[in-house]
Amino acid sequence: MSAVISISGVGKAFGDLRVLGDVSADIGAAEFVSVLGPSGCGKSTLLRLIAGLTPFEDGSISFNGAAVTAPAPEMGFVFQTSNLLPWLNVRDNLLLGVDLDAAVQRPSDAVFADLVETLGLTGFEASHPHQLSGGMRHRVAIGQALARNPQVLLMDEPFGALDALTRDRLNMELLRIWQRDRKTVVLVTHSISEAVLLSDRVLVMSERPGTIIEDVRIDLPRPRDPSVTREDPAFGDYVVRLSKLMGVL
Amino acid sequence: MSASAVTRDHAISLGFFLFLGLAWEFGVRWSGVQSYLLPPPSAILAELWQSRGPILAQSLVTLTEVFWGFIIAVALGVPIAALIFFSRTAKRTVYPLFVALQSIPKIGLAPLIVVWFGYGLTSKLIMAFLFAFFPIIISTLGGLASTPAHLEEHFRALRATPMQSFWRLRVPAALPSFLDGCKVAMPLAVIGAVVGEFVGSNDGLGNLILTASGSGHTTLTFAALIAVTLMSLILFYGVAYWERFIWWRAA
Repeated sequence: MSAVISISGVGKAFGDLRVLGDVSADIGAAEFVSVLGPSGCGKSTLLRLIAGLTPFEDGSISFNGAAVTAPAPEMGFVFQTSNLLPWLNVRDNLLLGVDLDAAVQRPSDAVFADLVETLGLTGFEASHPHQLSGGMRHRVAIGQALARNPQVLLMDEPFGALDALTRDRLNMELLRIWQRDRKTVVLVTHSISEAVLLSDRVLVMSERPGTIIEDVRIDLPRPRDPSVTREDPAFGDYVVRLSKLMGVL
Repeated sequence: MSASAVTRDHAISLGFFLFLGLAWEFGVRWSGVQSYLLPPPSAILAELWQSRGPILAQSLVTLTEVFWGFIIAVALGVPIAALIFFSRTAKRTVYPLFVALQSIPKIGLAPLIVVWFGYGLTSKLIMAFLFAFFPIIISTLGGLASTPAHLEEHFRALRATPMQSFWRLRVPAALPSFLDGCKVAMPLAVIGAVVGEFVGSNDGLGNLILTASGSGHTTLTFAALIAVTLMSLILFYGVAYWERFIWWRAA
């Protein structure tokens, strides 16, 4: 499998604060990779470097063989906060990433309607963000990234601010969408079970300055659903292994 | 709040002001205060009706001055605020200049303005402009600076051009603060125009107040004051009306 994203020897410091050590990893096409690490380990920074949002000096990152220097139209970024524009309705928020970016093709009406349907937003197209629940706002945020039909989806703890139930539900929807579209996903999270449930691979990071201390392949059968977390003993084994790596067990 | 509670609240407000008016009316009548010192509200209302022709005509003069002064304050204030916001040089030169100018008591400038621009419309609209200008600049600056950093980053991730980020993010994000500035600036523009009329004018409500009180015609003074107040209120709510179109201030 050829690498879509190739990270080699990347480091990053903000002034005197070294947040990333020496990070190298390859992420293949249609792979679901989670970056797991303690708070402040630089995992969000790593994602911003991959997205071309934050400049860096040490090492190199390539996307489809070209060096990353700025955000690419083939990438979709889902931020920790839903970041919806309060003055735009759901429909316009969903299409914002298409409207702003000349290099991104507008989805056809059918594709867009399907996206709205998939995200459970049918009937809310004309609503404004303040009329939506927290969970729905995050669906719109994911939809905004998906509407660009990106090759790669970068997600920075997208459900971190939500309650556990909503979070589980959105994770399942994410899994369903990914199993259908098979995009390359890089998900930053600090939830071990979330990482195991969703990912093909989990990159475990150390404390700051973050480096990848282990690259764990999750060999659970797909398609997965939440029953894995209860019924497959291998799930528990992965959680234990990752917990040990994270130093929480 | 239930509909009946709203009705009750309105009734309480109305009752309170009715009580104040009646207290004034009968207080003046029973205490024997001379009408040229403090006329009763009934006499003022009667005067307002009798002199409605001249009061309306003078109101129109003042309204014209306020209107143009305010429009020019917005038309100049917004681009200057944008310039100060985006240019470090402007922040170090233009901004302190306006802060210094703002510190000059503008009432003290009025005689100069009249000397320079005469007794007509120009000097008064300049006074209205001077009063309204600074709040517009400050509120626009504050609005532009209030754009959340995480949304700027989001726009970068969506590969928005600087122009798109300005028009589709900064401008809407700045609107609530800008409108607050307009709500402050509008009544100030009225004050500016009236001050201008006090200092040098042959017409306008300010001139009417001055000539009426100078000739001991106190009821007309009060009637003109009510006209100024009403104009200021109407203009204020005319600006506040636009808030419904930028409901996201709270979001």
